[in-house]
Amino acid sequence: MTNESRVKRLSTHAILLALVFINLVPLLIVLSSSLRSPRNMTNPLNWFNEFTLESFESAYTRMHFPVALWNSVVLTVVSVAFVVLFAAMAAYPMARIKSRTSKFLYLFFLAGLVVPGQMVLIPVIQMIKGLGIPLGQYTPILMFITCSLPFSTFLYTGFIRSGVPEEVEEAAYIDGAGLFKRFWQIVFPLLLPVTVSVIITQGVWIWNDYFFNMVFITKALDAPLPVAMLGFLGDQQNPAQWNVLFAACILCALPLLVMFFALQKYFVGGLTMGSVKG
Amino acid sequence: MNSAVMKKAMYLFVLPALLFYCIFWIFPILKLFQYSLTDYNGYVQSFDYVGFDNFKQLFGEEILGASIKNTLAYTAITVVLGNAIALALAILLNANIRAKGFYRSAFYIPTLFSAIVVGFIWSYVYMPGDGLIASFFAKVGLGGLDTNFLGSYSKALYSIIAVDIWKNIGTSVIIFLAGLQTVPNELLEAGKIDGAGRWKLFRFITLPMLATSVTINITLSVINGLKAFDFPFVMTNGGPGISTNTLIYAMYKMAFTDQLFGKASALGLISFAIIIAITVVCVLTLNKKEVSA
Repeated sequence: MTNESRVKRLSTHAILLALVFINLVPLLIVLSSSLRSPRNMTNPLNWFNEFTLESFESAYTRMHFPVALWNSVVLTVVSVAFVVLFAAMAAYPMARIKSRTSKFLYLFFLAGLVVPGQMVLIPVIQMIKGLGIPLGQYTPILMFITCSLPFSTFLYTGFIRSGVPEEVEEAAYIDGAGLFKRFWQIVFPLLLPVTVSVIITQGVWIWNDYFFNMVFITKALDAPLPVAMLGFLGDQQNPAQWNVLFAACILCALPLLVMFFALQKYFVGGLTMGSVKG
Repeated sequence: MNSAVMKKAMYLFVLPALLFYCIFWIFPILKLFQYSLTDYNGYVQSFDYVGFDNFKQLFGEEILGASIKNTLAYTAITVVLGNAIALALAILLNANIRAKGFYRSAFYIPTLFSAIVVGFIWSYVYMPGDGLIASFFAKVGLGGLDTNFLGSYSKALYSIIAVDIWKNIGTSVIIFLAGLQTVPNELLEAGKIDGAGRWKLFRFITLPMLATSVTINITLSVINGLKAFDFPFVMTNGGPGISTNTLIYAMYKMAFTDQLFGKASALGLISFAIIIAITVVCVLTLNKKEVSA
């Protein structure tokens, strides 16, 4: 390696490290403060001057962490399972059939991407009540599924069109396998890369969503993590100390951070799915 | 292979998705048209039709113009600045260096935090007095600077825009990086031999090859900006005054705080029209560019 390219490499690292540091400073300060006892009010800039889990213990109990975590898991897993099911199925005819109806359906779903959830909310509450669906812990699932359909059908349709030609079904077709069987046994398994992408992109937003949860969930013990955090922030009678709130922030983000570091490869692949295929 | 009958049967596969989509997404939008002509307050089920009064009122009030202006500024800045920074970072990361994965993850981490948590953390960062920026300024002897970022009419909007960029940049970086990895090195080498400078290599080789990632990133950030709601809601409540009201936040507040469902529906429809118009123009322009690139 020549000296010049070594200097170039080192300076690239220096620039990147500086940028990473600036980018993560707020989170590092939050982490350092969360590791202090609730009474430690020294300047947060003197970071990592104490290590105790006291603030974490307090946040853990006050936001009912295990319950909130479980609620988040249920809401996310159920919603994402339905999204995968519905979107993959819907994409199949939209990709296979070349007709006006099929093209219309594709654009019809895609157009939903520009609709803000807050706008739909005004009438949708009335709709849900009108249909006799009870408002409660699981109502947000309906909105999570619906909101995820535009992007997910877009990903699935694109993938089937370019990557899963009709020929793969030929042998099964000759054996007399019906549509349903061909889809589930042959096409769906081939869609795994998109399924991963849908699970990751939709799973992250559903996990982090506070809006639909906040609107539909009224009982504290029904709340998933972001809403538990929100209730905790707005608790006027019993305000928490900064360090405890920071610990709650970390607790709230921890499950996804762990998932991310364990499944990094899938996250990166999943995010770029739509962009490389076009 | 498939007979016409089979093709028809295939459409059954769309039904579950279509049902959800129509009931919980399309039908509510149609309902907005009805509500926008009424004085519905969201609680009492009886309401009267008031014609175009809601629209007339909105056009006479300051909030409409202000929230359109704020939303457009929000979108323009997040799109231009967000993507420019993301592209620059991706190019830096695309250099032949070690620990690429570490840097990429470091920029991606904020994306994993809920907007609630991000809003809270940044409210602390911006807080006058004990906040992160204020105490940093005090430490380096710049304590006299005004650091009331969220309380200032002129700075609040830009402050929450910065948070939006910070939170979302990781995704764009990853998408640009994937695009950059499809640029063949031979092409760049050939360009170098032909005597093209750095800017020319970027402009005539890298950028055209990145067309798809650029389209995706710009489209997603345009939509994200026009729908902006989270940070005005979590960090500023639209304030001070109405200086950080975006269209969607203004609509939400009108409906759920002021209990003016009818008027909020009218504002929702106006916002919707603006969002669709801008998105369509963007997508068409980008597609044309992409084809010609």
